[in-house]
Amino acid sequence: MDATMQSTYRRAINAGLIAGVAMIYLASVGLVGAFAERPIIASIGGEGPGLITLGRVMLATPAFLIGLIVAGRIRGTGTGTGASAAAVAALSGAVAGLLFGVFLLLIAAVDVRGVFLPLTPALVETLAFGQEPIVGAIINVLLAGAVAALAALIRLLDGRDRAAVLAAIGIVLLVAMLEPIIRPILGRVELDAVRDFMFTGGGLTLPAAALLAGLVIAYTWSTRHPSSPVRRQLDAVSDERRRQLQIGAAIIGVLIVLAVPFVATGFVSLVLFNVGLYLMLALGLNIVVGYAGLLDLGYVAFFAVGAYAMGVLTSSASSMGGPMSALFGAEWGFWLALPVVLIIAAIVGLLIGAPVLRLRGDYLAIVTLGFGEIARVLVGSEALRPALGGPNGVVGVPNLTIPGFGELTSPGEYYYPVVAFAAFAAYMAWRLSNSRTGRAWMAMREDETVAQATGVNTTNYKLLAFALGGTLGGLAGALFAVQLRTVFPGSFLLIVSITVLAIIILGGMGTIRGVIAGALILVGLPEALREFGEYRFLVYGAALVAMMVLRPEGLFPSKTRRAELHEESDEDKQLGESFQDPDRAAPTATGANA
Amino acid sequence: MLRRPVRITLVGVLMWGLAIAVIVGVVAGSIATLSSGGISGTTWTRLIVAGLSQGAIYALIALGYTLVYGVLLMINFAHGEVFMFGAFAGLFVAQALLGVDAPFMEQPLIGLLIVFAAAMLTSMTVAIVLERVAYRPLRRAPRLVPLITAIGASLFLQYTAFGLFGPRTRRYPSVEFLEGRTTLFGLEFANVQLVTIGAAVVLMTLLYYVVEHTRTGRSMRAVSEDKDVAALMGINVDRTIVTTFAIGGLLAGAAGVLYAFLFLNVDFGMGILPGIKAFTAAVLGGIGNLAGAAIGGVVIGVMERVTPSLVLYGFGVPSPGQLSDVVAFSVLVLVLIFRPTGLFGRKENV
Amino acid sequence: MSHAPAQESGTVAPRTGDLVLEVTALTKRFEGLVANHDINFTIPRRSIVSVIGPNGAGKTTLFNQITGFIEPTSGTIVFDGIDVSGLPPHKIVELGMARTYQNIRLFHNMTTLANVLVGHHVRMSAQWWQILFNTPSVQREEEHTDAFAYELLDLVGLSRRYADDLAKNLPYGDQRRLEIARALASRPKLLLLDEPTAGMNPAETRQMTDLIARLRRELGLTVVLIEHDMKVVMGISERITVLDYGELLAEGTPEEIRTNPSVIEAYLGKQATSA
Repeated sequence: MDATMQSTYRRAINAGLIAGVAMIYLASVGLVGAFAERPIIASIGGEGPGLITLGRVMLATPAFLIGLIVAGRIRGTGTGTGASAAAVAALSGAVAGLLFGVFLLLIAAVDVRGVFLPLTPALVETLAFGQEPIVGAIINVLLAGAVAALAALIRLLDGRDRAAVLAAIGIVLLVAMLEPIIRPILGRVELDAVRDFMFTGGGLTLPAAALLAGLVIAYTWSTRHPSSPVRRQLDAVSDERRRQLQIGAAIIGVLIVLAVPFVATGFVSLVLFNVGLYLMLALGLNIVVGYAGLLDLGYVAFFAVGAYAMGVLTSSASSMGGPMSALFGAEWGFWLALPVVLIIAAIVGLLIGAPVLRLRGDYLAIVTLGFGEIARVLVGSEALRPALGGPNGVVGVPNLTIPGFGELTSPGEYYYPVVAFAAFAAYMAWRLSNSRTGRAWMAMREDETVAQATGVNTTNYKLLAFALGGTLGGLAGALFAVQLRTVFPGSFLLIVSITVLAIIILGGMGTIRGVIAGALILVGLPEALREFGEYRFLVYGAALVAMMVLRPEGLFPSKTRRAELHEESDEDKQLGESFQDPDRAAPTATGANA
Repeated sequence: MLRRPVRITLVGVLMWGLAIAVIVGVVAGSIATLSSGGISGTTWTRLIVAGLSQGAIYALIALGYTLVYGVLLMINFAHGEVFMFGAFAGLFVAQALLGVDAPFMEQPLIGLLIVFAAAMLTSMTVAIVLERVAYRPLRRAPRLVPLITAIGASLFLQYTAFGLFGPRTRRYPSVEFLEGRTTLFGLEFANVQLVTIGAAVVLMTLLYYVVEHTRTGRSMRAVSEDKDVAALMGINVDRTIVTTFAIGGLLAGAAGVLYAFLFLNVDFGMGILPGIKAFTAAVLGGIGNLAGAAIGGVVIGVMERVTPSLVLYGFGVPSPGQLSDVVAFSVLVLVLIFRPTGLFGRKENV
Repeated sequence: MSHAPAQESGTVAPRTGDLVLEVTALTKRFEGLVANHDINFTIPRRSIVSVIGPNGAGKTTLFNQITGFIEPTSGTIVFDGIDVSGLPPHKIVELGMARTYQNIRLFHNMTTLANVLVGHHVRMSAQWWQILFNTPSVQREEEHTDAFAYELLDLVGLSRRYADDLAKNLPYGDQRRLEIARALASRPKLLLLDEPTAGMNPAETRQMTDLIARLRRELGLTVVLIEHDMKVVMGISERITVLDYGELLAEGTPEEIRTNPSVIEAYLGKQATSA
C-alpha cells in the first residue's frame, strides 16, 4: 500500500471518528430522542412511528456528510475509481457507526440519566431498533457504512445530476416535515385523494416519496441540462416574454401569499405571523448590520420600545389607578398611536446611535448589547412599574381595527397586517439599497475612513441607519403588542436579537431575498415542528458558527487583512502613524474628541 | 502657533450632557441616601462583603477574556459558557462526593479539591475544543467574524447544556464548613465568601507566576505583542494560543464552582450574566491587562452591590436591588463610550 | 467625525486665482515623532506637481493632512481660497478635492460601477425620503449618475464589461484605474494621487502617465502625485517638492531639482539603502 492510499485511509478513519462523535452528540443532547416520533416516511403497515423518522434522518446526517466529503476528496486527488471511493466512504461510515455502537452498548449497560437526561432506556431501545443492544450496535455499523457509501456514490455523479438527487432528497424531507401544514391544506382545498395518496397522518407514503423525488429530478434535469428539450425551449424564450412570465409568476406568488388564511389552519397563520414579525425585525436590522456594517446586538430594544409605546398609548387598563392612569388613560387607537410609536423608536435609535458613533466594530456590538440588556431589566423592574407595569407588563391593549373592515379578533387574522407591514419594510429596504443612501451605507461598511474621504458624512449616515432600523423594529413591536393584546417583559430577551442576527447572516447579509428565506427557515420551520422547542437555539448557534467558519469572506469586508497589507508597505509606519488602520485609530480618536 | 479652537458638535454636546448627567445623578443620589440614613452601617458592610466575593469570581472570569483578547484581539463571547460547564461538572462530582452519605462527607476539603479539579479540567477541555473548532479557522478574518462566531458558540454551548442536563435548575449539595461565619478585620464574612476570595487570590497569584516567570508565560506575552514576530522567534503560536485558552478555561472552571457554592444553583443559562459582567471588568481594567482585569472584577462586584442602594435608594426608587444588573451594564456602556482603553492605561492594538 | 465647520476656519480668505493650494508652516507630531515640520509650498492651478522623498519622509502624512484624514498639529492649508485645515474629509471633498491611496482602498464588496457612484455622492442630492417615494428627481439623478459613471470608466480606460463585477475581483492595474475613476466622480478641482504607478509594468505606467496628462488637459484638473518612479516624475511634473525627514528639502522645476546638490546627497544617498 503506498503512502497516498495510507493517508487516504487514515483520513477516512479520522473523518469517521468525527462523524461518530457528532452522532453521539446528537443522541446525548436529546435531538434524536425528541424527533424519534416525527415520521418522515410512513411505515408500510402503518404501525409504529414510521419507517424513517426525523430522529433517524438526523442520526444518519453525519455519515452522509462524511460520505460526501471523503468521496469528494478522493475525486479531487484523482486517486481512485467510483467503487473504491464508495468503499473508502463505507469504511468511514462504518467507523462512525462503530463508535456510535460502542456508545450504545455503554449507555445500555450504565445508567447515566442522573447526569445526561436524554439517555433513557427508551432512547436505547430506539437507537437499537428495538433489538438487543449488541444487535442494535451492529445494525448501526452497517447502516452508517451504507449511508456513507450511498453519499459517496451521489458525490461521484456528474455535477448536474448530483444537484438533482440532492434536491430530491431535500424536497422529500421538507414536504414530509411539513406534513402537519400541507395535509390539512390539501383537505381544505378538497384534494382528499391527493392527500390520502401522499400522507397517512404518520408520514409521507413510500410511493408518494418516490413520485416526488422523481418529479424533482425530472424538473431539475430538464431545466438545467443543456441538451434537454425543455431547457432548449426555455433558452429560446425572448427577453420580453421572459419578463412577462416573471411578472406572471410574481402575481401568482402574491396570490398564494394572500390566499393562505383561506386554505390554512389558524395554526399556520399564527406561524406565518411570527415569521412576518421576525422578517420585519430582520429587514430593519439588515439596514443597520447588512448595509451600514454596524453590528447591533441590542436590536431587541427597538422591538421593546415599539411594543411598550403602543401598549401604553392604547391600553384601556386605566382602572389600575395611581400614576398609571395618567399614562394609561390615553386609550388611543392603533392608527393614531402608530406614527407616535415610530417617531419614538426613531428617536431611541438616534439616542443609542449618537454615543457609539466613534466606536470600533466589536466594541459597538458590545455597547449595543449593553443597551439591550438595560432595556430588558428596566421594562420588567419595579422602578418603572407605574409607567410600564413592571413584571406584569401592560395589559388591556385593544384589538387592531382596520377601517372599512372591522376589528381583528382572532390572532390568525393578524396575518394580513403583518404581510402588509413586512412588504412595506421590504420595499423600503429594496428602494434604499440601490440608491445614494444605500451606497453610502455600504461604502461605510466596506471602509469607513475611505467612505468619509469619498464624501460620505459618516456621522449622519450612521445615525440614519440606526433611526430607520429602529423604526422598523418599533413597527414590529407595535404589531406584536396589538396581536398579543399584552406587552410582557419576558418577550424582550437577548435571544431575540441573536435570532434576528442569525436570520440575516444565514440569509447571506444584505439581500432581501436571503432575509426572507432566513426567516422562513429559522422561524417558520421550528414553529411548524413543535418538537424543536428550545432546540432551535442550538441550531441557530450552530448555524452562526458554521456560516462564519465556512464563508466569512463576503459577509464582511476583510479589514484586518487589508490593514496588515498596509503595514508592510506603509512608508509612514515608522512615524507612528496609525490612521491607516481604522481599527487602531478609533480609540485614539475617541479619547481625543470625548 | 495657537491651538486650534475646539469644534462644538451636536453629538459632542450630547456626550457631555450624558457624562454630566451620570456624575450629577450619582453624586445627588449618594448624598440623598447618606443624609437620609435609611441604610444602616451593617447593611453597607454586608453589601461590600458580598460584592467582594462576587467580584473575586468576576475577576477570575475576566482574566480569561483578557488573556484571550491579549493574544487574539477577539472577544470570546462564549467564555461565560466555559464557566457554566465548569459549574455543571463540579455539580455532578460534588453530588457524588459531598452529598448526604457520600464518600467525602467527612473530609470535605479533599472532596472540594476533587470538585475543583473536575470543574477546571472540564472547562479547560471546553475552551480548547472551542478554540480548535470555532476560532482557529478564523485567525485572519476581520474582527466582527470571530465575534459573531463566539456569539453562535455561546448559544450552541448553552443549548448543548440544556439538552444534556435539562432545563431545570440544579442545586449544589450544602457543605457544612462553608456555611459558618467568620469575622475578619471587623467584617463579618460567610465562610463560603472567604473561601471564594481566598481561592481567587491563590489562583491569580499562580497565574501571575506563570505569566511572568515561565517559558509558557513568555511565549504568551510574545504572541500578544506580535504573532508574526513570535513565530519567527521560534515560538509555536498555535500551541501558545491553545495554552491561553486552556488557562482561561481553568480559571473559569474554578470560578464556576465558586459561583455555584455561593449561590448553590446551576442552570444552562447561568453563564450569560457573569460572562458579560466579567467582560465589563476586563474592559474596565483595560482589556489585555491582567492586573486590570482582577481589579476591574472586584470593582464591578462591589459596584453592582453597593450602587443601587447608594444611588438609587436616595431617589426613592422601589426595590433598587433589582437594578444591580443595570448598574453593571451601565458601567459597561459608559466605559466603552468614554474610555474604551479602560482605567489602567492602554495596551497597544486595543 | 462630526466636526461642523467652525466660524474661525470657515472664513474665506481672499481668492488667489492662480494658486489652488497654499500650505503654510504645516507641522504634524505623533507622540513625540515629528512627521512633518514647518512645511511651506504652493500649487498653481492646472499644474502637475510631484512630491518625492525617501521612504518615511512624511509624504503620505502630508497628503493625509491636506485631505483632512488627520488634523495638523499646527499650520494652515488653504484650498482654493478656503482654510481647510481641520475640516472633516467629507467637507473637503465637497470643496473639490479627491485622492487615491498608496495601497488601493476600494469598496471591495461593491461593484465597479457602485464604487464610481459612491464617488459622485457629494454631487448628488437625493435624500432617503425622496428615495422611498422614488420621485422623478431621484430617478433623473440616478440615470444621470449612471451615465456619468460609465463615461468615467471609459475615460480611465476600464471596460464597461467590468461594471457589474465586484471591485475586489478586478486585476491590479484596473483597481488603480477604478480608484481614479471614483476620485474623479466627485468632480474635483484638485486630485491627489498616492503612488499611482506603484506595482505597474512599463506599459501600464505609460498609460497612467498619459491619463494624468489628459486629466489636466481635458478636465482642467490640478494633479499632485507622490511618486517614486523618477522617469514618471521628471517626465510629467512642472514642479517637484522634495521632502526628507519630514521637512521640505527643496522645491522647483524638474531641472532645478535634478541639479540641486542637497537633493542629490540626501535623496539619492538614502535611496540606495532603502530601496
